Amino acid sequence: MTTQTARATSTKAAGTGLRPSGTRGRRWWREVSWRYLVAVVMIVVCVTPLLYVISASLNPGGTLVGSNDLFRTVSGENFAELEARGFWGWLGNSLVVCTVTAIGTVLMGAAAAYAFSRFRFKGREQGLTGLLLAQMFPQTLAFVAIFLLLLTLKDVFPALGLDSLLGLICVYLGGALGVNTFLMYGFFNSIPRELDEAAKMDGATHTQIYWTIILRLVTPILAVVGLLSFISSFGDFLIAKVVLQRSENWTVAVGLYSLAADERTAPWGVFAAGAVIAAVPVVLLFLFLQKYIVGGLTAGSVKG
Amino acid sequence: MRRSIPAFAAVLGLALTLTACGSDSDGGTAETTAPAGGEETTAPALTGTLTMWVDETRIDVMKPIVEQFQTETGVKVDLVQKVSGDIRTDFVSQVPTGEGPDVIIGAHDWTGEFVNNGVVAPIQLGDKAEEFSTSAVQAFTYDGQIYGAPYAIENIALVRNNAILPETKATTFDELVAEGKAAGKTYSVLIQQGDQGDAYHLYPLQTSFDAPIFTQDADGSYTSELGLGGENGDKFATYLQKLGQEKVLDPALGGDQVKEAFLAGESPYIVTGPWYTTEFTNAGLDISVLPVPSAGGSEAKPFVGVQGAFISAKSKNPVLANEFVTNFLTTEAVQTELYKAGGRLPALKTAAAKVDDPVLAGFNEAGATGAPMPSIPEMGAMWQFWGTTQVQIIGGQATDPAGAWNTMVTNMQGAIDSAS
Amino acid sequence: MSQQTIVPDSEHAPPDSPPGDARPTRGDSSPARNFGKGFLVKLAIVALIDAVGLYGILTAIAVEQWAIMAFLALALVAVNWIYFSRRTLPAKYLLPGLLFLLVYVVFTAAYTGYVAFTNYGDGHNSTKQDAVAAILAQNEQRVEGSAAFPLTVLSRDDQLAFAIVRDGEALVGTAEDPLAPAQGAKVEADRVTEVPDWQVLGFAEIAQRQQEIVGLRVPASDDPADGSLRTQDASTGYLYESVMAYDEDADTMTNTQTGVVYSPNEHGQFQAEDGSTISPGWRVTVGFENFTRAFSDDRLRGPFIEIFLWNFAFALFSVLSTFVLGLFLAVVFNDPRVRGRKLLRALLILPYAVPAFLSALVWKGMLNTRSGFLNQVILGGADIGWLSDPWLAKLSVLGVNLWLGFPYMFIVCTGALQSIPSDVYESARMDGAKPWRLMRSITLPLLMVSVAPLLVASFAFNFNNFSLIYMLTGGGPNFVGTPVVIGHTDILISMVYSIAFESGLKQYGFASALSILIFLLVGAISWWGFRRTRRLEEL
Repeated sequence: MTTQTARATSTKAAGTGLRPSGTRGRRWWREVSWRYLVAVVMIVVCVTPLLYVISASLNPGGTLVGSNDLFRTVSGENFAELEARGFWGWLGNSLVVCTVTAIGTVLMGAAAAYAFSRFRFKGREQGLTGLLLAQMFPQTLAFVAIFLLLLTLKDVFPALGLDSLLGLICVYLGGALGVNTFLMYGFFNSIPRELDEAAKMDGATHTQIYWTIILRLVTPILAVVGLLSFISSFGDFLIAKVVLQRSENWTVAVGLYSLAADERTAPWGVFAAGAVIAAVPVVLLFLFLQKYIVGGLTAGSVKG
Repeated sequence: MRRSIPAFAAVLGLALTLTACGSDSDGGTAETTAPAGGEETTAPALTGTLTMWVDETRIDVMKPIVEQFQTETGVKVDLVQKVSGDIRTDFVSQVPTGEGPDVIIGAHDWTGEFVNNGVVAPIQLGDKAEEFSTSAVQAFTYDGQIYGAPYAIENIALVRNNAILPETKATTFDELVAEGKAAGKTYSVLIQQGDQGDAYHLYPLQTSFDAPIFTQDADGSYTSELGLGGENGDKFATYLQKLGQEKVLDPALGGDQVKEAFLAGESPYIVTGPWYTTEFTNAGLDISVLPVPSAGGSEAKPFVGVQGAFISAKSKNPVLANEFVTNFLTTEAVQTELYKAGGRLPALKTAAAKVDDPVLAGFNEAGATGAPMPSIPEMGAMWQFWGTTQVQIIGGQATDPAGAWNTMVTNMQGAIDSAS
Repeated sequence: MSQQTIVPDSEHAPPDSPPGDARPTRGDSSPARNFGKGFLVKLAIVALIDAVGLYGILTAIAVEQWAIMAFLALALVAVNWIYFSRRTLPAKYLLPGLLFLLVYVVFTAAYTGYVAFTNYGDGHNSTKQDAVAAILAQNEQRVEGSAAFPLTVLSRDDQLAFAIVRDGEALVGTAEDPLAPAQGAKVEADRVTEVPDWQVLGFAEIAQRQQEIVGLRVPASDDPADGSLRTQDASTGYLYESVMAYDEDADTMTNTQTGVVYSPNEHGQFQAEDGSTISPGWRVTVGFENFTRAFSDDRLRGPFIEIFLWNFAFALFSVLSTFVLGLFLAVVFNDPRVRGRKLLRALLILPYAVPAFLSALVWKGMLNTRSGFLNQVILGGADIGWLSDPWLAKLSVLGVNLWLGFPYMFIVCTGALQSIPSDVYESARMDGAKPWRLMRSITLPLLMVSVAPLLVASFAFNFNNFSLIYMLTGGGPNFVGTPVVIGHTDILISMVYSIAFESGLKQYGFASALSILIFLLVGAISWWGFRRTRRLEEL
């Protein structure tokens, strides 16, 4: 991976023709300065609402948005109370579930995208359309069906039944062939076929082409899909709360939802503290994956 | 005496009164094992596990009680925490599959839905029924049968910030508003509303116009006839409009907003329940709790909410479940424990008589004549029409209050008719 | 065992060549002939799947879950065939995802389809058997004025009996034999403690036979009108009489007090001749009734057009606004001259990193007319009803959805931008193309290839974005005086929720039917949109 990043940077540097720090003068003002302005505006917009959350997380006994008087009390009490609520267990569950789901989604989604992109087979078009439509079925009543399904599965495979993290992962993996597949499919299509052909000439099998050539070239989109899948399962509570019946098995989203469920008695401070901490893994993951997302080998540079 | 549960319960009752005097639950349970085990109860622990569902608002209160029950009887209790927003729906949909619990702790207004779906079993309180406050038992009664054992009662009342106004002379709501305004703070009397309205918090005002949601029998139980229409209803609707124009009521003031405003000393009065007063006293406010003054001439009666325990119709441990619900939860010692942990008035009269907390006593007085919230399944729709119409009158979208009110009554009637 | 079963299953694999012996054959693109390391891995995985599958089949047979058994059998055959055949190349890549899709998505959808044809909902919650049991239990009443008896549970040869003390006399009775005086019984404090020939049940036995004990009815006398003795806690007994009696052969319910006979009707309820019914009922299939109701319900027809238009506009604007902003930011921060991009990007995804329901709650507070941040702090005490004015509320919903949704598009676009070769830009720039032109004629078309289907999917998602509406405005501000409480920001799916769940009884059947209709609608729109994007792709 390091070689890829190195190469990518050199590609970029070559692309602009200048080292970033070397851009000066009028051109810099015209082409770059406004980007910082955009950055400042967007960051203010993104962060302001979250200030309420942070303020509430530091204020024991306060409300989430009842007052604009932010940060009038600062105390770590809410964060300390998270433990008593079982928050850290929820976080652990979430990390396990979401990591496995993200990896599974990337593997299965990429495989399907590869098939759709590289092979021409009967039902390909319909398959693509079908996949898209399957995602659109309203989930209003999904909970009834999912509950029943897992209840039945429990008889046969207890590990896949209700109240099991593995069961929840499987439900999430049901969505592996979904919207993300299309994202990967589009990206795969932008990889020149000549590459496969050349490898085939060299005697590589389709498995080898897939694992060693294609997957490496599409690293950015794999990272994107992994991230999106992680975030969406991390934030889901509608399905998770149906599957996970006991509080010690809950994920962070279900736990937070339970803290905020009763508006009258909700411990808003603890809830906010949990939300602040819950945002950390997502941001860290993004920071970590960024180098694959934007630093990955670009298809174009392969040719050269 | 042979080994029997009642004999056992007698020992247990004694043990409990001992622990009630003791300190906290942890120390208490350890103590109680000694007398309980010391008698003839060398019997092996009862086989079977009692599964109990409780939501996050009640779990902290129930935990020590359940542990006590476990130590006293040897019955293993599996306390499962559910989310308050889903516990009802989950119970209704899971009991038929056999996945549901044996016992569910909840509010009395769930009764109608549970009975209508056949997911709860009637219980027999026997002569103990008379030991409870009438409205508490009435609350769990549906079609002549009792479905839950009550343990706590709550209602709203007028709460005063003594630092702003040390005493209240007003006898009507208008005078109260005038008094509040004279105090010179941002708000005179806070009553939470929110975008979807809040008929629950306005109910004392509404009943003071003699316009209850359903008409009541002589014994205080509801008939199926809507009582909020007619001339009295029109008067109340007009009064709401007036309060809205005076900005006493404001759709922008939701639960969060009124709580923060009162905590910040921006209002001398707030109409609210024990769930907020705990936080007020914790924050160091000096408060008094009074009945809501009448706005329309009659007595202002709030809704009474009752907490209790139900037994699943498909419980595999009906005896153990009954032991907990009808025999254990209804003892004075347990009700007192529950009051100490939860800060709500006990439903058992003898336990309630011993409560000396002035705030709770104030709520008790304010709710003395209140009737329980109706528990018919159609209440969901009632609340919606009700809150929406009130908030539209207050906010000024409905310019003809009486007309809007009458449309609401028609729609409510329609919802009742279409459901049955 | 699993190893043995694979070989016969995989007809297309060479039967007699143990994998280890086979030499890798170069130049053959099919791995079926390529018995290298890859094949061994494959064999091991398939063997494992077969083992688990077979275990599942056996268990399914044991617990009589025939549907699962059939599915597993089919899935196993498919797995073995696909992975050992040479003709199923695409399927090798599609199968894992497809299996999960079938079980968890297609089944869920199909089940919703099934529910749409039933009357499942409040009052019709379970089976007929459950309903009969519930009716009987709910209509068993304590005989008025009867006493509470301290009760003892007895057993003899597995038969249960109750013993009580009445008028100072110990009585014992079983299900068949009414209460009768028991000779030689010992009584202590109104409770029978010993009966000759009978054994008094202790705690452990009581706990083991709970349902039997609770189900036992001991007739008080030969006259059924006297009621029967039953107990719920095995320590106190009461006399009960049944108001309802169920006749299994005739399948009728009879009210023993009034004599009215109720028989089951088509809608899963016991009904008397005068039309009155007993609740609870049970779940039955009702054909197309839920669908016809959807078209005949006045409450739906009235505001339908208005809500549909708003729903469409909401979904469309949400997609466009999030996409435009996300793409814009992705392009802006894709410039290597901007420093600290890594951190900037991380901050920009913050709205996406916190749970959406939390954000909705915060925004709801910030948009509050009286105390909200927007009115109070930004606009210096303005009195603007961001959530209470119909048009502003719509604007607010779109704004909040933009805030919530742009990071998604930002991430997607940032990723997709990487597929555009930088040399394309080089040559274009050489030709003197301006940035805007580069964007329009190179970036956008190339990006659309991978992103367009996502836009369609995002449209569909937002079309049914129930949780945002529910948590931010609850559909409000509500229409004045409509017979069902719906509001200006309600979308179709939240209207369904209002009608099927919140207006009185929960009606899952009706809600399913309505959601299927919505699915057909949004599916048709999306299918059309998807075909358009496919055409884009061919460019």
